[in-house]
Amino acid sequence: MVIWSRLTESFWLNTQLFALTLLFALPLGLVVAFGSMSRFTPLRAVVRTFVWVIRGTPLMLQIIVIYLGPGLMGWGTPWPAGSFGRLWAAVVAFVINYACYFSEIYRGGIESVPRGQTEAGQVLGMTRAQIFFRVTLLQVVKRILPPMGNEVITLVKDTSLANVISNKEIIMMAKEYSAKGLIWPLFSTAIFFLVFVGVLTLLFGALEKKLDYFK
Amino acid sequence: MALLEATGIGKNFGSTKVLQNISLSLEKGEALAIIGSSGSGKTTLLRCLNFLETPDTGRIVVDGETLWDADDPATHKEREKRKKRLHFGLVFQNFNLFPQYTALQNVMLAGQLLARERPDFRTNRKQIYEGLEIQARRLLEQMGLSDRANHYPHQLSGGQQQRVAIARALALEPDILCFDEPTSALDPELTGEVLRVLRELAAKKTTMIIVTHEMAFARDVADRILFMDGGVVVEEGPAHQVIDHPREERTRRFLAHYSA
Ligand SMILES: Nc1ncnc2c1ncn2[C@@H]1O[C@H](COP(=O)(O)OP(=O)(O)OP(=O)(O)O)[C@@H](O)[C@H]1O
Ligand SMILES: [Mg+2]
Repeated sequence: MVIWSRLTESFWLNTQLFALTLLFALPLGLVVAFGSMSRFTPLRAVVRTFVWVIRGTPLMLQIIVIYLGPGLMGWGTPWPAGSFGRLWAAVVAFVINYACYFSEIYRGGIESVPRGQTEAGQVLGMTRAQIFFRVTLLQVVKRILPPMGNEVITLVKDTSLANVISNKEIIMMAKEYSAKGLIWPLFSTAIFFLVFVGVLTLLFGALEKKLDYFK
Repeated sequence: MALLEATGIGKNFGSTKVLQNISLSLEKGEALAIIGSSGSGKTTLLRCLNFLETPDTGRIVVDGETLWDADDPATHKEREKRKKRLHFGLVFQNFNLFPQYTALQNVMLAGQLLARERPDFRTNRKQIYEGLEIQARRLLEQMGLSDRANHYPHQLSGGQQQRVAIARALALEPDILCFDEPTSALDPELTGEVLRVLRELAAKKTTMIIVTHEMAFARDVADRILFMDGGVVVEEGPAHQVIDHPREERTRRFLAHYSA
């Protein structure tokens, strides 16, 4: 029983990391997406290169670089000591990483809305912002829900990568038991992930259904 | 003075000259049809009038106000384009209705957004919105779509969608309403219902520019016809004359494809 409650406690860290990553990466991804679609070529080039680097290297490595990099460069570590600093270093790495993945999904979604939608808005005297928020956005949301669902589910499981900088998330906690010869807690972590992902799957299904009213 | 005076409009895409020295004028209440073969620049011309493309040469004057003068940078301000567009309405070949809004919402949306810029918006919001809804319902009724107000675009036939699009354009009361082949995406059975609406608009003296391949319709409904070929105006004149007694050999050759 104690083991179960300790696993649950440590899964709280996965949950926090998950929630904080979404909170910041969802809007940041949109900013990155606009950068990667900018008509200003240097900005577009810089943003697309950045996205390539982030998507082209392992998240685990990025977490390590974010946490230890500044110190190793002799700049002094920006992270507070202890578990709090380790969590925030992981959050920052996850946010950057996921913002880049989201940005590509957003970009695909935005570019898939026919140009005629924007032009119809323009001809009707709408501002660029009005066209984006009142015409394009919901159509983008409808189109990107399935790939976003995938990405969000991946995030759930990726949260255990945070243990690379000693964040005591659920897998790390379970491994401590297996090191002592008790193997079942490690296998039972799957239940936590499965339940979480199950809830998300239902949620995304419901959202898709809600947007079924238009085509 | 004419309501619309466009003079010397020219547009290049890279090295291709899509429009060259196009001039046209339109009196208030007049309907002008533009005909011409594919690629002759008809769509590009309408897009220039609606500021979806910027003309490389020429001037556009509406009601004495110079909206665009290629030689006068003061008329090129991006920020003012939005207001200038409101002199024109544009009905697209493929409707471009907003799929997430009902027919009624499609017709009202732009008006609601523009109303926010009125100084009395905050105090009279409710009356303003009610007024817009009454107007939108009246327009849908005029289009024969009263019973479709709460349908989404995907629940409507092509002809119904195009009529919603016409109502949407009319809602902003543009000085000049432009149609880019409004029936060419429609099955023949649905073409008639849209042409009927256009006839009614013409009968009400709506100022219109209609790009069309429906020659009989153009002759009967338009006051004047302009024939374009290869980015230039080949012939312009009273509708019956251009269709029945064209002066130019190119016009005759073009019309020959339709008389068969
Ligand atoms: N954005 C663009 N970039 C490059 N070329 C273009 C562009 N838009 C149009 N054109 C070219 O300009 C010419 C005129 O096109 P436009 O669409 O105005 O013709 P149209 O008279 O409307 O033809 P249709 O009857 O087929 O609709 C065509 O040769 C076309 O390929
Ligand atoms: Mg065309």
